[in-house]
Amino acid sequence: MKLLLGLILVLLLVPVQATLLPHLSVWNIKPDLGLVAAAFVGLFAGEMEGLLVGLAIGWVLNLFSASELGLSLLTNGGVGLLAGFLGRQVSQVTSISVGVGLLAVSLASGLLEAATSKNIDLAQVWQMVGAIVLPQACFDGLVGTGLYWLLSQRFQLARLRTE
Amino acid sequence: MRMANSRSSSGSRRRAFACFALLLAAVFLFHGEIQGLLQYLGGPVGHVASIPLEVIASIDTGIANRWQRYVVLQGVWDENQQLRKDIEWLRGQNSQLHELAAATERLTALLQFKEQALPTMVAARVIGRDTTNRYQALILNKGERDGIKPDMGVITPAGVVGRIVKTTGASSVVLLVTDPNNAIAGLIQRTRDEGVVEGTQQGRAQLKYLPLLSTLQHGDRVVTSGLIGDFPRGLAIGTIMHIDKQEGALFQSAELMLEVDVGRVEEVLVIQASSGQSTKAAREVDPPGKP
Repeated sequence: MKLLLGLILVLLLVPVQATLLPHLSVWNIKPDLGLVAAAFVGLFAGEMEGLLVGLAIGWVLNLFSASELGLSLLTNGGVGLLAGFLGRQVSQVTSISVGVGLLAVSLASGLLEAATSKNIDLAQVWQMVGAIVLPQACFDGLVGTGLYWLLSQRFQLARLRTE
Repeated sequence: MRMANSRSSSGSRRRAFACFALLLAAVFLFHGEIQGLLQYLGGPVGHVASIPLEVIASIDTGIANRWQRYVVLQGVWDENQQLRKDIEWLRGQNSQLHELAAATERLTALLQFKEQALPTMVAARVIGRDTTNRYQALILNKGERDGIKPDMGVITPAGVVGRIVKTTGASSVVLLVTDPNNAIAGLIQRTRDEGVVEGTQQGRAQLKYLPLLSTLQHGDRVVTSGLIGDFPRGLAIGTIMHIDKQEGALFQSAELMLEVDVGRVEEVLVIQASSGQSTKAAREVDPPGKP
C-alpha cells in the first residue's frame, strides 16, 4: 500500500511540476514540489520512507530536466531523511516551523547545486543565487507553510505523526 | 507525548543514515558510472512517467486552446487586419522568391552541383518545461524509440530552438538556445563572420567571439554556420540588436533578438541527420555507380 502511494505520488509530481506549475510561476520561478513532498513524507512517515521517496522523486524529476543525474537525487533524498530526523526532535511542529525548515533546506540544496555548476564563473554563481536559488527557497517555504496549514485544518496532524 | 515517527526503530533510522552515506560516497566516487546506470534505468521509468505527463499536457493544451479561441477574443479583428496585410506582402515576396528559386535551379543545373539532400526531421510536441528553475529546457513527447538522441538539433520553421540533452524511451529534454549552458556555432549572414551563440542568465542570447574587425551592424541576421554540432548551415537564429565592443578586448559580441519565441513554442522539429550526414548516409545505402 505504501509502495503504491509512493509510486502514485512520484508519477503525479512529474506532470504537476513540468506542465502545471509553469503557469503558476512568479518571475519564471516555480516551487520545487519534489523537495516539499520529500520533506512531508519524511516528517509523517519517518527517515527511511523520507529517504526512499525523496530519492525516487529526485531521480524521476531529474529525467525531465536538463540537469545532471545524481545531485538532485541526493538533495531530495537527504531532505526526506533530514525531515524524518528533525520531525522526531521537534516536539511541536507548526506551519511556520515547516516553512522555515523548507526554506533552509531549499536554500542549502540550491547553493550546493549552484556551487557545483559547470562552465560558470563566481559572478554567475552569485547571480544565480540571487535570481533563482533565493526566490525559490522563499517559494518552497511558503508552499510548505500553506500546505501544512491546509493539512492541519483538515486532519489531526499531531495524532497522524504519533501513530 | 509520544514523538513523531517514534515507531521507526533506531535500527531503521541507522539503516537510513547508512544507506544515504553509502549513496553519497558512491555518487562522488563513481560519478560517471552512477550517471550511466541511472540514465540506463531511466529509459523505461521515464517511459512510464511520461504517460501521465502526456495526459496532463493534452488537457492543458485543450484548455489553453479553448481559452485562446473563445475567451481571449480582444484584439482579434485588429490582428486579422494586420495578418491580411502581411499575407499580401508575403504573396509579393513569394512570387519574387519563386523567380529566384527558378534562377538558382537553372544555375545549379548549369554548374552541375549535386542536389543537396534535405535533413531528416521528426516532428514532436512540447509537453512540459524543465522541472527545475536552473535550466531553460523543454520536454518533448518523442524519445529514444523515435530515434532521438542527445545533441540532435531542434528547430521550428522560424528558426533554431535548441538541442537535445537527455532522452528517455518516450520523451526527451531540449536545452534552449537561451540557456547559458548552450552553445551553437553562428554566422552573420551579411559579413560571413563566425561566432558562438550562447544563452544568458536573463534568458536572451548573444553572439560571442566575433573578430574585432568585423563590420557587423544592428539588424544583421545570424544563421547557423553548420561547422559544429547537428545543425545544417543557414538556419535562422536571430537578428543583432546591440553590439558590445569593449576597448582592449580580443573579441566583440552582440546581443540577439531570437527568431523563435522559445517561451511559446508548442511543436518542434528534431533534426535526426543534417544535410551532410544524410547525403553521407544515402551514399552508404546507394553507393555511386549503382544502377
